[in-house]
Amino acid sequence: MNKILKLTLILGIIGAISGGALAAVYKVTGPVIRAQDAKTLQVGLSEVFPGDYQFERLNEEFELPDPVVQIDGAYIVKSNKGIVGLVLQVTSPGSQAPIKMLVGTKKDRTVSGVKILESLETPGLGANASNPDYYVDKENKLSFLDQFKGKKISDNFIPKEDVIAITGATITSDAIAKGVKAAGKVTHNYFKEMEGPE
Amino acid sequence: MKKYWRIVWNGITPSNPILILAIGLCSVVAVTNSVQNALLMTFVFSFVLIFSEIIISLLRKVIPGDIRVPIFVLVIATFTTIATLLSRAYFNSIYEAIKLYIFLVVVNCIIIGRAEAFSYQNSIVDSIFDGIGMSIGYGWVIIAMAAVREVFGNGTIAGFRVFPASYSPALVMILPPAGFLILGVLVGWLEFTLRKKKVKK
Repeated sequence: MNKILKLTLILGIIGAISGGALAAVYKVTGPVIRAQDAKTLQVGLSEVFPGDYQFERLNEEFELPDPVVQIDGAYIVKSNKGIVGLVLQVTSPGSQAPIKMLVGTKKDRTVSGVKILESLETPGLGANASNPDYYVDKENKLSFLDQFKGKKISDNFIPKEDVIAITGATITSDAIAKGVKAAGKVTHNYFKEMEGPE
Repeated sequence: MKKYWRIVWNGITPSNPILILAIGLCSVVAVTNSVQNALLMTFVFSFVLIFSEIIISLLRKVIPGDIRVPIFVLVIATFTTIATLLSRAYFNSIYEAIKLYIFLVVVNCIIIGRAEAFSYQNSIVDSIFDGIGMSIGYGWVIIAMAAVREVFGNGTIAGFRVFPASYSPALVMILPPAGFLILGVLVGWLEFTLRKKKVKK
């Protein structure tokens, strides 16, 4: 019994020291990390919706159109003339870990841009999704994410049908396409509700 | 001094963690598809290995044998998390590139293997040199493998194009099977040279 107590105590002390060390490091790095995340989000928002717009966070629960896709946040895009679109932050399961991305949609029901915020896809394969110099359409110099620009949100978004897939990365291509499709559905419903019955 | 050099040299060839001890191979195959990834992985790996070896060597007299493995894991996980937090806060672009491998460091058998086989029985200074030697031994192998895989699989080396853009890359080189293939060739080559040396003696 004594031995068990002793072992527990030693393990507890070492655990406490390591916890303390981590807390100390986190205290210093935490604010820097949060500031960076906020900046990444701002940059991301203006990338998926280029132009002179304001972004306003929406506190609203959305119905999930696809059970695997999560909606983590929504930002209304405003110009001087009023609301012009919606940016959704969605999470879709990738091949290694969830892919976090921003999907911007205009009020005319077209995609304005897609940006990956966080992903752990395989380097050289799935990671090419966020590489602006990797062209899925070499002739038109179109990167994987750029191909979504201007597409109608009512499209099917199925890789190898109306979306060009990344060679060797079907899961990644599929995950992103699914995220865009789900975001499109949510946006469509949102604007429909806002505009009211015709 | 000669003793320390022997410890370092031990990690580079006679007990090379990848080619001779053949441990931690999964992460090796995963990270060697580009030179940049291999360099970053070496960097994180060295940081975690050297600091974990120092702490474990420091605590070796108070760690009871019965619970040594959970303590090794605790120490390694702590340093890995510190590396994650620091790189996220101050070197975000590096973090973006290595985050996938940071998780592989925690479960890297080389680190836990060296903690068990070396620092648990040796002094701090010896452990530091062991950490340096093992890091070099790990680094040169993965960088060499990455160079071969990147050149043939992508036509570039560390991001610089070596083959003309018209070269159509052999995708298999980027995929895991080619990683094992090249690993096998390297193991064979090192075994061959070491044995030839022994015969000469």
